[in-house]
Amino acid sequence: MAEENSLVINHLNKKFDVDKKQVEILKDINLTIKKGEFITIVGHSGCGKSTLLKIIAGLVGYSEGEIIRNGKPVTGPDTDCGMVFQEHRLLPWLKIKDNIGFGLDKSDKQKWNETVQKHIELVKLQGFENAYPSQLSGGMSQRAAIARGLVTSPDILLLDEPFGALDALTRVQMQKEILRIWEEEQTTMIMVTHDIDEAIYLGNRIVVMSARPGEIKEIITVDSANAKVRGSTDFSYYKQKVYKHFFEDERETEEYNI
Amino acid sequence: MKKVKTVLLGLIIPVLVVIFWWYATNYGNTPESILPKISTVGKTIGAMWTAGSLQEDLIISLQRVVEGYLISAVLGIVLGTIMGMSETVRKIFQPTVTTIRQIPIMAWIPLLILWCGIGEASKIVIIVIASFFPIMVNTLSGISQTPLEYVEVAKLYKISKWKTFIRVYLPHALPHIQTGLKLGLGVLWMAVVAAELIASTSGIGYRMSYARTLMQSDVVIICMIVIGIIGILMDKLLTIIFTALTPWERKRRERG
Repeated sequence: MAEENSLVINHLNKKFDVDKKQVEILKDINLTIKKGEFITIVGHSGCGKSTLLKIIAGLVGYSEGEIIRNGKPVTGPDTDCGMVFQEHRLLPWLKIKDNIGFGLDKSDKQKWNETVQKHIELVKLQGFENAYPSQLSGGMSQRAAIARGLVTSPDILLLDEPFGALDALTRVQMQKEILRIWEEEQTTMIMVTHDIDEAIYLGNRIVVMSARPGEIKEIITVDSANAKVRGSTDFSYYKQKVYKHFFEDERETEEYNI
Repeated sequence: MKKVKTVLLGLIIPVLVVIFWWYATNYGNTPESILPKISTVGKTIGAMWTAGSLQEDLIISLQRVVEGYLISAVLGIVLGTIMGMSETVRKIFQPTVTTIRQIPIMAWIPLLILWCGIGEASKIVIIVIASFFPIMVNTLSGISQTPLEYVEVAKLYKISKWKTFIRVYLPHALPHIQTGLKLGLGVLWMAVVAAELIASTSGIGYRMSYARTLMQSDVVIICMIVIGIIGILMDKLLTIIFTALTPWERKRRERG
């Protein structure tokens, strides 16, 4: 029987040692994500949301708690979980097709070619198979990075502010693209973002996090179809709801700055 | 068209030097023993060529250069890579290597003659010592400066250590290795001439020092020109090889 939940996080804590002092990065994170969900995580920079993604990916260890990914406790990176970073991180020396197929076993050349080609088409990069990353625009590079993240057919795709470095127009375009890809591939997506509009537009649920220590303040379920229309009343309703958390926080951060 | 322009621009200075040379030897009062006429040098080249001594010296020196260079390239790239990949190895070797690097190549010669004799071995060792360090140091920095972001991507896909080296570290280091090899090339001839000046009866360096004692400035100049030309040819060869090895670098430069 297929596992119902893609990800279960129970009482997760993460501490770093900074100058011999323990700093709490993540505190008591509890989150259950169903298969095929699109989760967005918003929070201030430094609230540990990127660390959370890296812990889910298995790139970073954690101090306490448990994480079950696709029914198995997380012990390290695996091909059932892809990741897209803010910088595209395409290897400059590999052609686009080789970058996309980077994580894919190349022993079966024909299968490799087919899978890579399929993913090039998925992100609409036909014609750029043999280009090098330096020849691509920011948006195209990020498409290639998404294709690389999806090429191993992972159950979960983690997106760490993938559109953060793109210009506003490309960003909206890419948001539409990722929704289309999500609907086509039915991959569970977990995206970290600064952009509240993006979080509402993409997420089934929005996880609002506070900073130092990173805690989940609220999980907002976006259940109105109307909320996906930018500028609609429902959209502004959710926007208000998310904003509220950060207005409270703002006073705190001002105090920090003095 | 652009290539022709590059070549022409590069020829400006050599042509000016030749004009100046020609003027100084024909209209100035420079004695032939200090600066021979171009025609004298031409005649001497012809004589050396027909006598076969130029080719003979050249082949002997080239043999030493190529042997020594290949050894130091392999040693330098391998050791630089191992030091770049392992912090422990780097910590073990770095202080010693940095200390030895400071010793001028000429200072090695007396000991090397004692240890290796005056045969081919001591000359090759001198060449290896001279060109090894730039190659090793640059390989090391190329490997160790590989962005961790890329290494993390490889980790994410559970790429094996060896494959990560081949597909991430090595390509990143290639332009650095090229720089190291070129710097190594620069000190190569210095080393071979130094080695041949001291204990040798053959090679371009020997020919130069012998000609100097006989006040044959034309022969000295010929040897200098020959070394320069071979140097630029080897440098060009390296450029061609590495341009083929790193096609992405060219694309990046084209984009500007």
